[in-house]
Amino acid sequence: MFALYKKELQSYFLSPAAYVVLAFFTLTFSLTMIMGISGASANLYEFSFSSIFYSNLFYLIFTLPLLTMRSFSEERKNGTEVMLLSSPVSVTKIVLAKFLATSTIFLIMMLVVMFHPIVTAINGKIILSRLICTFIGFYLCGLVYIALGILISSFTESILLSIVLSEALILLLILVDNLSNFSLFSSAPILSDLFDWLSNQKKFYTFSRGLFRVSDLIGYITEIFVFVIWTIISVEKRRWSRR
Amino acid sequence: MVEIKNLTKYYGHKAAVKNISFTIEDNEILGFLGPNGAGKSTTLNIISGVIPSTSGTVVINGFDIAQDPIKAKRCIGFLPEIPPVYPDMKVKEYLNFAAGLKGVPSVKRKVQVQRAMERLRITDVSNRLIRNLSKGYRQRVGFAQALINDPPILILDEPTVGLDPTQLIEVRNLILDLKRDHSIILSSHILSEISAVCDRVVVINKGEVQAIDTINNLEESSQANIVLKLKIQGNSRDVTKTASQVEGVIRVSNVTFIKTGIYTYNVEIASKDVRNSLLSALLMKKLEVLEITEEKKSLEQVFVNLINNSGNKKSSLEKLLEEMNSEDSTENNSEKNTNSDSKPDDKNKADKEEEQ
Repeated sequence: MFALYKKELQSYFLSPAAYVVLAFFTLTFSLTMIMGISGASANLYEFSFSSIFYSNLFYLIFTLPLLTMRSFSEERKNGTEVMLLSSPVSVTKIVLAKFLATSTIFLIMMLVVMFHPIVTAINGKIILSRLICTFIGFYLCGLVYIALGILISSFTESILLSIVLSEALILLLILVDNLSNFSLFSSAPILSDLFDWLSNQKKFYTFSRGLFRVSDLIGYITEIFVFVIWTIISVEKRRWSRR
Repeated sequence: MVEIKNLTKYYGHKAAVKNISFTIEDNEILGFLGPNGAGKSTTLNIISGVIPSTSGTVVINGFDIAQDPIKAKRCIGFLPEIPPVYPDMKVKEYLNFAAGLKGVPSVKRKVQVQRAMERLRITDVSNRLIRNLSKGYRQRVGFAQALINDPPILILDEPTVGLDPTQLIEVRNLILDLKRDHSIILSSHILSEISAVCDRVVVINKGEVQAIDTINNLEESSQANIVLKLKIQGNSRDVTKTASQVEGVIRVSNVTFIKTGIYTYNVEIASKDVRNSLLSALLMKKLEVLEITEEKKSLEQVFVNLINNSGNKKSSLEKLLEEMNSEDSTENNSEKNTNSDSKPDDKNKADKEEEQ
């Protein structure tokens, strides 16, 4: 499993994908940061990294599918899936190795943009607890999108379709957040609660206020688990129907 | 040792493989022969655990591939039809990854990779991107991947596709060399390939086993009458008459003109003993026998017979003939290439002349 993880990590840097994503993420983060600072005209100005992370949550829609697009689609296209399936590694481990490798890339992305808070901390004051919680919330939310992207990539052989579908579904996942506010659903408290619980933004919101709620953590982890297990099932299912 | 029992695979309602059973003994090369779409690749994919079977069992060195997949897969090296290579990786990186994936301990990894590269003669491309390699090299990199962890059983799905004649001989020798400590199952639709290396042959058509035997037995069993090809100087009518009178000669056919007074004949005889009496009869008539060859039934004919006998319609035979033609054409490829190279030049020249 470690060999596959290492290879996945390596393959991100063999193609321009990882560099492009890394650069794009750094760019959007820096731009939102600059825009945030430029608004600081009055003496009383509240500036928080949480809001920057929050706006970047939407940019993840475009960046993370670029990381996950190849994970299974390309294996299938190159015929290398056969090699993985005929080697003494279980499907669970194959899926986990891919998920962990992509998570590592995402972690690297986040560590790079940590440059801004560090510089801010040197020159000013920062609320550490809030920053750490935002960081964790943002990372977990990204992992949900990664798990979803890998699942989509296991459905299709076409890389383009994989990107488009993942982006659409992540967008849909974000739109679910607003559903709970609809008057139609808010009249039925159970549905409203359900959508509330599914809402990734709301979970992130609690994290971004510096609150670490176990229920939110479990919520994120459950979503990740569902997508990862679904991916394992999808790959296994393809084994049964492949020619 | 690999034991395959009653293997069946359905894709929807269509059976790709029906009730196949055979075993691969230790240190044996088993040929797996059949026309395109016969179920060769499906069977090999099932044996190597890539796809599960609908029913039936595959037991590899005592481990069932469905019950104990990890242990069973440790015993096999699989080279699929399309070499499973990552175009973005360098050969050495790729083989290192393959070794890691197959659980070769990191201490041994370097040695194993080196050995596999030497065996397949790809050491000189070890630092090149697989993307830039030719088909033959990719095929060999894929082969190296299959034997990187030195598995006791090798499953090779058409290993010689895309190789040039010298590489073909090298790979053939490698397979014979590997036989000493491996059991090998080798699929191909190229019959000369099978007859060159295999001890036993499994002939499969439309998902069913048609025959399992050694090549010699297969050839002998289907050889009813011996056909002699004679080249004789003399009157063709005399020859036909004389030959037909000899006891044991069944038929004289296919009289072809070579040049004045010289013809070739196909003489079908009942047994080998007839040959001498036939020759003496001809010589008595002062007919000069210039050449005599025995038309041996090749594996190709055996193959065609087996597939025809199983009551298949014309279509499969036609397919088979097409395949044979395509084999011929691959052999003639080098000639064709030179031709096709020269043709456009001629056209260009003609065009230019017209312009002038």
